[in-house]
Amino acid sequence: MMKSKENMVTVYIMGDAYNVPESSTIITAMEYSGFQLTTGVGCREGFCGACATIYREKGDYKLKGGLACQTVVTDGMTLAQIPFMPAEKPIYDLKELKPDINTIKELFPTIFRCVSCNTCTKACPQDIDVMDYIQALKKGNIAEAADISFDCIRCGLCALRCPAEIVQYNAATLARRLYGSYLAKKSPEVDESIEDIKAGKYDKELEELTKMDRKTLSEKYYARETKLR
Amino acid sequence: MYPDYMLESIKKVEQTRPQRFELAKKHGKQVYPPMGEKERGDILANYHPDYKDDALREVQVGPNKGEKLTAKVSDMLESHTRIDPKKFDLNKPDHVTDVLVIGAGSAGMSAAITAAGNGSKVIIATKLRLGDSNSMMAQGGIQAADQKDDSPILHYLDIMGGGHFDNKPELVKAFVKDAPSAIKWLSDLGVMFDKNPDGSMMVKPGGGTCRSRMHSTRDYTGAGICRVLRDEVYNLPDKIKYLEYNPVVELILDDKGQAAGAITYHLGTKQYSIIKAKSVIISTGGYGRLHIRGYETTNHYGATADGLMLAYRAGVKLLYMDSVQYHPTGAIFPEQIVGFLCTEKIRTMGAQPVNKNGELFVYPLEPRDVEASSFIRESHERNLGITTPKGLRGIWLDSPLVDMINGEGAINKYLPAMHRQYARFDIDIAKYPMLVFPTLHYQNGGIEINKDAETTIPGLYVAGEATGGVHGRNRLMGNSQMDLIVFGRRSGLHASERVKKGVKFGKMSLEHVYSYEKEVDEINIDKNKIAPILLPDYIPNHVKEKQVDTEYFGTLI
Amino acid sequence: MKIPYYPGCTLKSTAKHFENSAIESAKALGIEFVELPKWNCCGVVTPLAEDDIMHHVAPVRNLIRVLEMNKSGAVNDEKRLLTLCSMCFNTLKRSTLRIKEKVDDLDVLNDFMYKEEDYDGSVEVVHFLEILRENGFDEIKKQVKKSLENLKIAPYYGCMLLRPKDIGIDDAERPTIFNDLLTSLSAEPIEWRAKNKCCGSFLTLDNKEIVSRLGYDILTNAQKSGADLIVTSCPLCAFNLDNRQKIIKQKHPEFEEIPVLYFTQLMAIAFDLDKEVMGLDGNYINPVPLLESKGIL
Repeated sequence: MMKSKENMVTVYIMGDAYNVPESSTIITAMEYSGFQLTTGVGCREGFCGACATIYREKGDYKLKGGLACQTVVTDGMTLAQIPFMPAEKPIYDLKELKPDINTIKELFPTIFRCVSCNTCTKACPQDIDVMDYIQALKKGNIAEAADISFDCIRCGLCALRCPAEIVQYNAATLARRLYGSYLAKKSPEVDESIEDIKAGKYDKELEELTKMDRKTLSEKYYARETKLR
Repeated sequence: MYPDYMLESIKKVEQTRPQRFELAKKHGKQVYPPMGEKERGDILANYHPDYKDDALREVQVGPNKGEKLTAKVSDMLESHTRIDPKKFDLNKPDHVTDVLVIGAGSAGMSAAITAAGNGSKVIIATKLRLGDSNSMMAQGGIQAADQKDDSPILHYLDIMGGGHFDNKPELVKAFVKDAPSAIKWLSDLGVMFDKNPDGSMMVKPGGGTCRSRMHSTRDYTGAGICRVLRDEVYNLPDKIKYLEYNPVVELILDDKGQAAGAITYHLGTKQYSIIKAKSVIISTGGYGRLHIRGYETTNHYGATADGLMLAYRAGVKLLYMDSVQYHPTGAIFPEQIVGFLCTEKIRTMGAQPVNKNGELFVYPLEPRDVEASSFIRESHERNLGITTPKGLRGIWLDSPLVDMINGEGAINKYLPAMHRQYARFDIDIAKYPMLVFPTLHYQNGGIEINKDAETTIPGLYVAGEATGGVHGRNRLMGNSQMDLIVFGRRSGLHASERVKKGVKFGKMSLEHVYSYEKEVDEINIDKNKIAPILLPDYIPNHVKEKQVDTEYFGTLI
Repeated sequence: MKIPYYPGCTLKSTAKHFENSAIESAKALGIEFVELPKWNCCGVVTPLAEDDIMHHVAPVRNLIRVLEMNKSGAVNDEKRLLTLCSMCFNTLKRSTLRIKEKVDDLDVLNDFMYKEEDYDGSVEVVHFLEILRENGFDEIKKQVKKSLENLKIAPYYGCMLLRPKDIGIDDAERPTIFNDLLTSLSAEPIEWRAKNKCCGSFLTLDNKEIVSRLGYDILTNAQKSGADLIVTSCPLCAFNLDNRQKIIKQKHPEFEEIPVLYFTQLMAIAFDLDKEVMGLDGNYINPVPLLESKGIL
């Protein structure tokens, strides 16, 4: 059951061959080989998008992309690091925008150059249907674009591969913010609770709690009723 | 996919699942009796890693000298400075600003946006990129008592009880009162909270909460918030300037003892810069990458407690640095994701922890330290855990229940990050349970602040995980995300108010660095041991031996 | 005499001997070839490529969706794809024909796809007008609740519905399908010259001048032929004929505006569907006064 010795594979890091444990990800393979990383590395769990990179596998002509912290190496893999992803981002004041197609046209005119080649979707390490949300934005469907793009971690691989030079993830960010602030249904109970607090509804009781000795507070805590939805 | 011997155990989990599903239908979340005060105390004392004999060690230098802290923290604090203070001419700053924010997670960016909105010029100096932080990685939720059946009073009680009543009351009070407005602030900025069809917030419970008050953005709650804040920072180029790959390595004070700026170090060009600022906010996050007690961590690459070191060296006391949060459910299989977070939201949505025989052994939503301790007891003491091919031992988190309870497709819709994480390794968590064990997650204590997020040094503020006192000795799920926003905004507001009132600088000084160095020298600390650590060091020894003159960021690990 | 000289790849490789003789004989005549300092391929490769597959990737992905709908049970054994817009109709149908022409290209095309299943060439693209014809114009007659008797309508076919021949749904020069529809709706189609003239299409984006010139010819021809209004089968034609009347009016102050309806709007009117369904407030030239004066609305 226990492995006695880890099997090794050969990878080519920026051209040079290194032997690394076969269970390595691209990040840990680089570290195992002696590279201390300051760029192209982030949360190491697939949430921050800092470590998007490109690689080729043995015998395959295709240039592949993925997150270096999530991609397990294979024997003969040639890999590299992308330290930083340059991109244009329009500056806007969300409060001044309208959640409609004209905003999209004005801030992201490039998305109307999309030729539906789907390269962005193929490049996405999060399996997001990137082209579909660009197409949704083209139709002015901000809600759909916000929904489809939700899991985007802004690694930039879509923009890197797009022949129309679209910066998809920035457009997606705008779509989600427009949805969240304008299109999502309002939650009146939040405003009401803020009003109650402002009106001082809890002040007296809270003040008492902050002064309460540990024992009384503990009793109160363990006696509180639990009502979960 | 799981190896055959694990599938054998999974069969037993599948056998008991229908019964456990019936239990959930009947009793909701309370499928197992929650522990009382005594039980909680006993299990912590016997099984929580903080209670091991060698967990703590007296720190020999600085404001907390003589106090027992988590051993690794004491090790770190007893370190030399990275800089030679003599080499810096503080009269020639490279940047001058109103407010300097150190670190760019959700706390730092909330602070920057708030300070900028209040009329201050802001510089953010951050070690990696904007948003590269633990904030971005949080999954499960953010707590606010904004529902009809809830109140700030109940939220207060939950926080105090979860923290074993060691919390600082004025901070908790500020926290629970600000929380609903923080939700609104985020909503207006465009955070896409999960909502019910009528628009009301879709709330879930969390470990140790007596009401359902966990707001979420699927299981990307941290990212859902942090990426909006980052976009907002990008949109304020005239007010907020940001310096990426520029960690702060020392604070600068003035001879009146006020905060006056900081020294940064560029990771690429290796240049140091002097920033002069009227208010300084530390929002550098926690210490997961110190790998306390050798634990794997859920934390970001940059989580090396830099801010803790900066403030401590400048003379600010730390609170509750004897308490470490181990998240109950860290992945231990497949090996590429060992230590990764399996969000508490999975339990919130009905998943149950079970042992190798498929038996329930704990209330799934105890506070984290209690839950984690019970997992340790089950797998190691009672020997009812499952061992991985690498020799790690854990228990099952029975995730398929989530779909059974919430309807088919619930995992895919509300836990997409978790689903994707395991799908990468051919495991469908809607069909198979997840193998988990506690993992190093959160710095419960930190730099002491008051309700305005200010420290004992005038003009020095702290927000987020770097602070201590809000969560006592154990934080509840969803309260760190709220902490970032509440104290991020408070620090930004008060830092900029201070600027408005007018700051009279004395002479810029690094005197605190000299005097701390003296203390460190007195206990004969190796010259090569320096902090802030900046980045952990994962180069294997056989390689390092050949990197004869390589400069290492990390000196501890 | 010195003259800039572009040699080309062949003259530098397999035809090196031609280049030498050219340069030297020119020299004898006192002409000096001065080679371009940095030259690249003249570009012959791109126009020579017979492969136009990239043009068909987007259309074919849509055709595959039809197969997926059949597979998932969203429709039952229906491999025809209905379109409303003449431009989309033309583009999509062109791809179906292109693939039938060269079935071998399917492999390459399918390589461009991702999670989609392979396309097998089995989808047919149809325009709504074709479906109406197939369904029988008598069926339409049965649904008419509001008579359009007094309305003289110019059916505008444009280009994309009729050309090229193998794509067109009717005779390119003497089409009748639209006329038949109008008749079945109880309206009176007029005969006119400009019914299949080009509206200027996408030039509307960067050359409004041309579009308004073409539009002026089409619209005035309809008016001279006695039309009260024009009906189109394509949203782009409709936009060009309707919205560009603003520019036409500026250039020709004597021009009288004429409403332009989409054919389904007319159907909704005749079927007496909801006002909202008719969507007349979306048109640039308001057709309501005309329809009211004719007692239709």
